[in-house]
Amino acid sequence: MPREPQEIEIKSRADTLKQRPWPATPPPSREEVAKVYAKRKAEDFGAWCEENLWFQKAFEKPEALQGVRVLEVGLWRLGHKFCTSLLAELGAEVIKVEPPEGDPMRKLTPFGREEYMLKDKKTGEPCGLEFIHEMRNKYSITLNLDTPEGQKLYKGLANRADIIVEEYPPGYMDERGIGYRQLSKINPRLIYCWIGELGQWGPEKDRLSKHGQWMLDPFGQVACSFVHNTGYPDDFLPRGSGGDTTRSGVWLADYVAGEQAAVNILAALYYREEKSRRGQFIEVTAAEALMDILDFDIAWYGFNESIKARTGSWDPNLNQYAWNPCKDGYMMIGGQTDRLWYRIGMCIERDLPQFGRLIHEDPFLKEVAARNALQALTKTYTLTAMWLRDINRVEAEEKLLQYEIAAGPLLYIDEVCEFPHFKYRPWVYTIEDEHYGLLLYSAPPQAFQMRTPARVKWLGRPLGHDNGEIYQKYLGVGQRMQEVLKEKGVL
Amino acid sequence: MADPREVRLEDLPGPKSREELEDMKAPYEEYCRKIFDVGNEFIKPGALEGIRWLSCTMYIFTPHAVANLGELGAEIIKIEFPRVADPMRHTSPFNECYYYPLHDTRPKSGTGIGVLNANVNEYYISLDYHRKEAQEVLHKLVKMSDGLTECYRPGTFDRWKQSYRYLQEINPRFIYVWGGGFGYGPKAFGGSYDILGQSHAGLASITGFHEDFGGHPTKHSNWCIDWYSGTQITVAILAALYWRRKTGLGTMIEFSQVQAATRCIGYGVPLYGRFGVVRQRWGNWDTQLCVHGIIICGKSDYPDEKNPQLRNEARYVMVSAFNDPDFKELCTVIKRMDLYEKYKTHKERVRAEAQVEIYQEIEKWAADKSRSEVARILTEAGVLAMPVKNDKEVYESEHFRQRGTVRWMDDPMLGDVVVQSTYSAGLLSETPRRKFWDFRPVGADNVKIYHELLGYPVSTVQEWYDKGII
Repeated sequence: MPREPQEIEIKSRADTLKQRPWPATPPPSREEVAKVYAKRKAEDFGAWCEENLWFQKAFEKPEALQGVRVLEVGLWRLGHKFCTSLLAELGAEVIKVEPPEGDPMRKLTPFGREEYMLKDKKTGEPCGLEFIHEMRNKYSITLNLDTPEGQKLYKGLANRADIIVEEYPPGYMDERGIGYRQLSKINPRLIYCWIGELGQWGPEKDRLSKHGQWMLDPFGQVACSFVHNTGYPDDFLPRGSGGDTTRSGVWLADYVAGEQAAVNILAALYYREEKSRRGQFIEVTAAEALMDILDFDIAWYGFNESIKARTGSWDPNLNQYAWNPCKDGYMMIGGQTDRLWYRIGMCIERDLPQFGRLIHEDPFLKEVAARNALQALTKTYTLTAMWLRDINRVEAEEKLLQYEIAAGPLLYIDEVCEFPHFKYRPWVYTIEDEHYGLLLYSAPPQAFQMRTPARVKWLGRPLGHDNGEIYQKYLGVGQRMQEVLKEKGVL
Repeated sequence: MADPREVRLEDLPGPKSREELEDMKAPYEEYCRKIFDVGNEFIKPGALEGIRWLSCTMYIFTPHAVANLGELGAEIIKIEFPRVADPMRHTSPFNECYYYPLHDTRPKSGTGIGVLNANVNEYYISLDYHRKEAQEVLHKLVKMSDGLTECYRPGTFDRWKQSYRYLQEINPRFIYVWGGGFGYGPKAFGGSYDILGQSHAGLASITGFHEDFGGHPTKHSNWCIDWYSGTQITVAILAALYWRRKTGLGTMIEFSQVQAATRCIGYGVPLYGRFGVVRQRWGNWDTQLCVHGIIICGKSDYPDEKNPQLRNEARYVMVSAFNDPDFKELCTVIKRMDLYEKYKTHKERVRAEAQVEIYQEIEKWAADKSRSEVARILTEAGVLAMPVKNDKEVYESEHFRQRGTVRWMDDPMLGDVVVQSTYSAGLLSETPRRKFWDFRPVGADNVKIYHELLGYPVSTVQEWYDKGII
């Protein structure tokens, strides 16, 4: 359904900051998609998948981690937040314990722009988007862990918890008598996971600055050689203008640490339930979790003292496997095995006949591994880019998909949100939040399951919103007592 | 039930033995070292011992989802196509680095280093699903396994009558995972790779330098999104295993790797949804914090080395001083108190224009210094800074060595190899991860699985091999 173009008058920045309708255009209908399945003779299978895995049916199904209680104590970073998000999306009850002044991440907003923060409908308290987005399905309570009363209350909560995910500086909790070493004595079933950047022990463990500032990602990215290996080489783009080592645009090391923490925690939970009846202590760091997934880089140094260099958007291990510029942006094309390699050529050859002659008939390029040599990459991508420069992303994708090649345009975030496949499933979705209104969010990739799909029940939570319920329910601390504690600075 | 009048030692608070008392009194760091006991992983059990998983996977994404289980103690059977094998075995940077031994699938060159770390602790068998003998074999394996992970294009396993539709009939406890690019929907049959996840999901559009600074969207080095998405599958698998304890029922998990990349773009999606603002690239700085970025220094740490990665590239350093007192300290060190006077609050500092100015001034100060000098001066002043480390420095890092996350091992197939993974995915005090071997040749465990587990005579196994079924 084509939309009517609208006259938009922009007089100030405020006029541009408007909620966008999502989706701007409707996703493909189920009938249209059924035709896609039919083309590959997979009507039955496609229908079966949609019937059993359909995203919108999540709330009709149970939650896998129902009954698992998690305490999240941490500030600033994303590791613990992402870890407990994964658990909370799968049904665990996650209680985020914040100091009375709140997690400082609540105040972070891109370029300090307060207009990008969201205000709680009732109190008007602003909160940053990064925080809200990762505060899914979690309760927020406040507790001052520096006071004896606070520590006592925390011990009470820990006694009732299955899992604690902690991200404070090394030894912080231990000094206060509420680390793993003390809590495991009162709750032997406790699974306790510490997450950090570099470690809570060892010669280069997490440090604080003289004035108490924390180490945050990208310290983790920097410490494991990821940053050194990422970016365009300086003979490709000048240094200072894109040809430098490059960090990830997001706090990737924190995300990776968070998910590995979730894996280790769930394995420990399984072991506790099946066999030992006891919890354990887990430590995951951003630097090491990211090093775990740096392919073979450190092992390669051990093999022949190679230090990996930057190769931009090309990959030294696979050909073709890169994005290259095209008429309206960048187009990613991938296909390494002979079957895909020749199909890419067959597609490009239709418009650029010399591609077949220069690439397919080059004897050097006939062997799959030989194509990874540097001159082979240069030759292949030069010719591919020759083809790409005259067509735009949509055309290129359409042509390449006819040959069943893994190809796709490089998308900006607005394009991601509007990509037909992404909004059909959907991968970004809206939720009407009690406090922050209509929000667009990234859906959990674990949401497409037959029996216990992950789901987002709410996003964001004002500071201390759940004090009343949690303290009453788990510690029997009533309204009056809570007020007294609040006055004393404990809550 | 215990007599409530009896006082038992174990009911009293406090340590129960001298050893425990010493544990409680030990400095925290010592306590951590002791409880994780790095280097002695093998005397402890694996968390998932007793789980058997089938891995019909290729490349990195889905193999890693299963390797996580293998590192945690599950028994994994990796099934490859005979002779063709996992295409990752061809993969090596610039076609330069291969591991021996030679084998009939890779008779001339050995196996590419690209396959390293993705399929650890697994048994390797081969099977051609197209052949009619294959179905019986696979069904037998399904009956005695807990789950399966596959990565073929959607509908392929269904065509071979081995999708979850069929397998749940023969084993209702079975957990079936499909991992791929897209899943049901209009682009269901689109293939995918790590790099497609990066580019298609918006991650590349926010990584690298802004075009105003001359930059392009930048690929995360390595197949980060493959590995990262694979781990998220493991999360789903472990939750499904937990749920199965209650219901006895398996499930099917359909996991799209491209979506997992969208999941990690943070505030990008809600920012667009609420305000129509499209997040852009911001290079080596941080959009939400300042000073918190990577700068370039004038001098190299290794001016005389031959390797350009040392001679030219060892010049970057991470500097972080976003809190007010830290920023003040930083300005004192670089002797630019005027900057502090100008940008006293974080809100002022973190604005785009301010960031451009501040980082330029820090780089000017660093123009006649090497990165280790910069890191040393700032650290001594109490400001957080760290050189951007390369593979050599990570390999030589005392920190990672003591923590056991970079170590040598004697692999039964490959001999001495450096291990950078498995142990680095997290330390567990009771059920540590461990690696007992990396990859093995195609079909290395055919006899073990087909003969010893499934009971086929060795002569049949040989016959299948001769016919190319395995």
